[in-house]
Amino acid sequence: MKPANQIIGKVLRGGIGVLTAIMVGGATFSFAQESVSVRATLMTGGVPVDDPTAAAWSSAPPATFPMSPQVHWQNRIQEVTVKDVIVRALHDGKQVAILVEYADPTQDPDDAAALEFMVGDKKAHFAHGQPMLQVEGGPVNIWFWKNKTDKGVDMSAKGFGTLKPQEHQDVKAKGVYSNGTWKVVFSRTLSTGHAEEDVEITPGQFISIAFAVWDGRKDGAGDLVEKGSQKAVSSWWYFRADAPPDYSGYMYAAIAAALALGFQFVLIRKLKKGQSA
Amino acid sequence: MGALGKPIILMVAMYVFLKFVLPNIPGSAPLPSSLIFLYLLLTASGIVIFETLSGESKDAFWGPIQRFLTGENIGGLQALRYGVFILFPILVGWQTYGSTAVSDLPPTESRTIHPAPPGEYTGLSNPVPKTPENIMQGKGFYAAYCSPCHGGNFDGKGPAARGFIPAPANFADPTTIAMLQESYLFWRIKKGGVGLPIEGAPWKSAMPRWEVELPDEWIWKIIMGEYDGAHQSPRTWE
Repeated sequence: MKPANQIIGKVLRGGIGVLTAIMVGGATFSFAQESVSVRATLMTGGVPVDDPTAAAWSSAPPATFPMSPQVHWQNRIQEVTVKDVIVRALHDGKQVAILVEYADPTQDPDDAAALEFMVGDKKAHFAHGQPMLQVEGGPVNIWFWKNKTDKGVDMSAKGFGTLKPQEHQDVKAKGVYSNGTWKVVFSRTLSTGHAEEDVEITPGQFISIAFAVWDGRKDGAGDLVEKGSQKAVSSWWYFRADAPPDYSGYMYAAIAAALALGFQFVLIRKLKKGQSA
Repeated sequence: MGALGKPIILMVAMYVFLKFVLPNIPGSAPLPSSLIFLYLLLTASGIVIFETLSGESKDAFWGPIQRFLTGENIGGLQALRYGVFILFPILVGWQTYGSTAVSDLPPTESRTIHPAPPGEYTGLSNPVPKTPENIMQGKGFYAAYCSPCHGGNFDGKGPAARGFIPAPANFADPTTIAMLQESYLFWRIKKGGVGLPIEGAPWKSAMPRWEVELPDEWIWKIIMGEYDGAHQSPRTWE
């Protein structure tokens, strides 16, 4: 009886542990978050890098982000046209395309939109990587599009007034305006080989992204209402390109279940032997 | 099953208490699942130690378990026994899958909302006399510079606030300026979002660095106007 009791003791402790782990583990699924990240869906075949209206976009889940006027730095603005941006993303393991969609009542040559990313491991303030006073922050990589030129500009900044186009232009962009809505697609290769100035997109990893939009309308005097730092902005959100499907979890689960089954057999055999002895 | 009934009831009661009762006690908060797990493990070990203190209680405790697992002629429990034998490997497999699966949630942000200010900004007292005129003037500056985000009603709901996460501070909320000293506000207004230390990351605060645009005296008056408008008073150490 004695050895059997000890074995049962071990099993019970383990079993209770496993059961409680299951009980509490199950509970963690209830902490669902709002759409705080853009998810780039993995697709096969060409990513629609220059087609904001391609059918493939319907397979990418939309995420909506609220916008505010840029108030952090002068010259600030207190009201902006664009209140939300809807963002979708697709990638095929080589190219990534990010679609930004927003309502704008008028199509103007100076309508513009931009994506902003942190570069490397250093954190950066969302306002153009504005230098932090107590800590050294990192630079930001800005992908800029303007209706007038309808192309992407790959830029770097580390604080207001430092924004400049990069030597290596890796970003493409194209906008389509229809029914009061802009759809602008930005695209690039996941990695560019210039990690000191470009964001590197590694599938499966979360990176920081922010958005900016300028409504290029003019006031009565013919001056642009939104220009430069006077724009609609968001603070940091997350972006992640989906990793290729990984089935190793199923394999580990099968191995664990087989081990548990084998353990049961051994245990019962030992217990029965102990009884008959 | 008498010797087993009590431990099972105790475990279930402990789980229900930790998971559902404790978070509802005023001043308490939901326990992280790892802590609940630890407490349940301690409870389980306590039960096993208690039940095996004497030979008698040990047999009373293990006897039924052993009978359930290997005994013959246990009637309806036979089906339950096979159920346990089938369910246990499945649960182990499921739990393993759950712990290896990659999370779809973004990284947790452990932002400190009120990080410690640099030494020179602790314990400063407001040099501006608290007169009705100065308070009035402070409210005027507040309306011009602060209210677009922090709101005309000092509630953090200004027209420019909607896109900013974290939301602009609601001064009427007793957990904001009411628990801070005036010198703390002076620091945050003067240095803004870029003045945050590393523990204030991920640096999403849109708060301007007002020292670039406003003289100190205006900032002290704004602080006065904020407390008055939000019907709060600064924290003091007396």
